[in-house]
Amino acid sequence: MEKIYDSQMNVHDFIKAMFEKNIVSGLGALTQLPDNKGISYSLLSDGFDFQKCMPFYPVMPANAAIAVSKLTRETSPSSPIAVFLRPCELRALIELTKIKQARLDNLILISFDCSGVFPFKDGKYPTEDTLKRYDQSIKEAKINDTIRQVCKGCENYQPEGADIAISIIGRGVHESLALSFATEKGKSIQEKMGLTASEIQPSTIEQLTSDKKRNKQELFKNTQISNLDELLDVFDTCIACRACSYVCPICYCKNCYFDSQTFQYYPENYAQRLNKKNTLRLPLDRIFFHMGRLSHMGSSCVACGMCSDVCPVDIPVSEMFKAGGQNIQGVFNYQPGQNLDEPMPLVTYQEKELHEMED
Amino acid sequence: MDDIKWLQGKGKPGIKSFFQDILTRGLIDTVLMPAKNKKGNSYAWFLMNKDGFLETSDPIPPVMTIQGANILKNITKKGESWSKTAVVLRPCELRAVIELTKLEQINLENIILISFDCPGAYPLTQYISGDQTSLDQKYDSSLYTASFETERNACIMCDKFTGQGADIQLCFLGQSDDGFLISAASAKGKELLKDVNGTNEENLEIKTKKRDELLGQLQKEKNEKRQVILDRFKETIYGTDNLLNVFSACINCHNCRRACPICFCSECYFESKALYSEADNQLNRATRKNALRMPSDLLLFHLGRMNHMSISCVSCGACEDACPENIPVSLLFSLVSRDTQAVFNYDPGHSLEEPLPFVVYKNEELKEYEAHYTKRHQSACNCNTK
Amino acid sequence: MSDEKEFIPNIVYGLCAWCGTGGSETAAAHHLKYPENIKPFRVMCTGALDPVYILRALIEGADGFIVSGCHPGDCHYDSGNYRARRRIAALKSILNTLGLDSDRVWLRWVGHGEGQRLVDTAFEFNEHIKKLGPNPLKSRRDS
Ligand code: SF4
Ligand code: SF4
Ligand code: SF4
Ligand code: SF4
Ligand code: SF4
Ligand code: FES
Repeated sequence: MEKIYDSQMNVHDFIKAMFEKNIVSGLGALTQLPDNKGISYSLLSDGFDFQKCMPFYPVMPANAAIAVSKLTRETSPSSPIAVFLRPCELRALIELTKIKQARLDNLILISFDCSGVFPFKDGKYPTEDTLKRYDQSIKEAKINDTIRQVCKGCENYQPEGADIAISIIGRGVHESLALSFATEKGKSIQEKMGLTASEIQPSTIEQLTSDKKRNKQELFKNTQISNLDELLDVFDTCIACRACSYVCPICYCKNCYFDSQTFQYYPENYAQRLNKKNTLRLPLDRIFFHMGRLSHMGSSCVACGMCSDVCPVDIPVSEMFKAGGQNIQGVFNYQPGQNLDEPMPLVTYQEKELHEMED
Repeated sequence: MDDIKWLQGKGKPGIKSFFQDILTRGLIDTVLMPAKNKKGNSYAWFLMNKDGFLETSDPIPPVMTIQGANILKNITKKGESWSKTAVVLRPCELRAVIELTKLEQINLENIILISFDCPGAYPLTQYISGDQTSLDQKYDSSLYTASFETERNACIMCDKFTGQGADIQLCFLGQSDDGFLISAASAKGKELLKDVNGTNEENLEIKTKKRDELLGQLQKEKNEKRQVILDRFKETIYGTDNLLNVFSACINCHNCRRACPICFCSECYFESKALYSEADNQLNRATRKNALRMPSDLLLFHLGRMNHMSISCVSCGACEDACPENIPVSLLFSLVSRDTQAVFNYDPGHSLEEPLPFVVYKNEELKEYEAHYTKRHQSACNCNTK
Repeated sequence: MSDEKEFIPNIVYGLCAWCGTGGSETAAAHHLKYPENIKPFRVMCTGALDPVYILRALIEGADGFIVSGCHPGDCHYDSGNYRARRRIAALKSILNTLGLDSDRVWLRWVGHGEGQRLVDTAFEFNEHIKKLGPNPLKSRRDS
């Protein structure tokens, strides 16, 4: 366990200090839009009014790993940029880095123990009251009851691999920041900022973790699919809009296979299929898309919940992908986003493996 | 009158049996229309032959799940249909089909387009999360009287709610619910209609007149409503501040464009490499703008999309149904397209013959959009090099 | 005199490779100068200029965008300038509807020999944009 230090600063002062000490020249964080009309992830540079940053604000308009990937996929920045990421966003970024869709050079990864986010649907932000209750649940290390399903059952709510990790749970968002520095990069920042004194004790979170585990098991039970019929039922209202894959950080492909020529058929193909079945539901490959997507990215699914948020017909996509993803990850004993050096299961092959999958 | 017939049959089942009938009698081989999904809580598109006609099919479903033009594009983009296929479309879906045909994304060979007096539809999310049985009932009972009320923006202000332009039109407006009028507008349509067994021939004129009267009145009302709604909406979005406020909850997911039938490009410019840029470049932009919203190019996407397709926007509302954040996308696009279409006096989906504005050009036109050279500028001579 | 810094607009001048650029060459041959804050941007033909580039410039930092190419009938690709005129008409209509200053975009034809006209146009547009003031879009961080 890394040591935790009391920074004696709130998050805004901390951000300002990083700029003042020339540790960073840019920052990515959830930020208020002008006139407080909403919240979005933003890239900020020196001179910005950092009071408007709200890194812990409990909505996820986009998985921030996508923003960071778009920022760094061409080149790394030539001077350091710090990015705030929730643990699941951080894991997604690690996965994206493994597949060369993002670069970590000159990035400072800041994460925090996450109490989950509210579903962001119909453009509705949480109310004052909701936010108050949310803050309370952070202080008490409890699960808020209106956050997303996947968040309620998220066991990986503590950041792994961040350069700077902030401990909020059990303390609250308005306390001075409790920081730990796990990496070389982190440690050098610690030194530059002079944050080596006033160690503090970690909060007790055993109860929280076991509650989350229980929620997860319940969620898996509720979304378990045991046959084709159930699968068809879950996706019965799906309009094949692909929003789920577009907002998925792991579905990075610019040209999705399922939108490719392979699936653009000639009229004759329709004729043949219709002849066999007499009734064809269109578009074809609707269910196949979901299964195929799961097989493409399931081993890296970080269960961030974005896909459920955006589905216009409210299909619990992420709940199912979380379960499906964990099955695949279990087979390969792979933990997505945990470690940059852990090779992805579908890019490493071994001769002596998976014999139990053969017939 | 050989291009109009009256068909007996009560309510929706009556309308449905028309399709059953033309299928079994071989007047068409295949039909493409919506039917209930498996669980019965929504609708989906089905391609059916005579042995596969679904009991739950519904030519006039209370909700638009996927814009029908997109489905027809899937089938005929790569060639003509293999059999005589009737396609049942809402009027706005029909107009999108006409546009996509002009854009060479749809092949109408062997296709018979059937459309109808459309009562409108429920917003997709409202329908999916509601009690479908009662919503269905409410919907079906309004078919003949144009009394359906909805919160779907595109439908509230729709003033092109008849099947004008289809090969076959089904007309319910002003009819008693024991039958409906079928009219044929094209050679294809007439060919089909000639073998349809109509009844009650002698009352035809009265029935048609009844519809025409109601229609005339409705169209006038709806058109006025449309202008008022768009004018009012314009006031709320006018100018940089207001416009960006509309997009404050937009998550830049591009689902509006994926749902839009007119945005047919399989490689959208706004998702292409053209918009990739280096990290330092993005940080510069952030410095210049005092911050950069990420993922970036949100406004560029919307304005650029308007630029690409608003001339053909058919105000179908598919974009808004698909938007997870309830952004009034179809209102915005309808507002903008009202003006861009007026520039070229273009009515999308009206006729296959009317050429797309971006494929015909004239020497003498649109002078008012040029900045005319009037004067020699005082500073612009070689002695003054300020 | 006001203390405020004089507003020097950021202007992009889209020129087709034939008459537009030709006009600027003629201007150069006659030693005519135009304001330095106007940045020429060459495209093969005005018809090849997707208005999305104009939008991008306006959102990312330009205060105005002006396009010049061959006069009607003179386009070196036959009808590119007609296409440009239609596309710019649509663009201006969109900006106008949304209250985004459609007047920040100009289209004016300039022939190869018309160096004077090109320079006049540059000055006139520059002054026009100065009067309009900075483009509010370019400094919006929520765009
Ligand atoms: S899934 Fe939810 S709780 Fe877990 S890290 Fe992501 S946002 Fe936080
Ligand atoms: S977002 Fe929902 S409706 Fe769209 S493809 Fe995914 S599951 Fe289907
Ligand atoms: S926005 Fe433009 S490029 Fe993208 S799909 Fe629509 S028309 Fe095509
Ligand atoms: S922009 Fe919206 S309303 Fe217009 S055609 Fe596309 S989906 Fe329909
Ligand atoms: S308007 Fe809606 S559908 Fe379109 S990009 Fe924004 S959030 Fe997505
Ligand atoms: S080449 Fe000059 S406008 Fe086309």
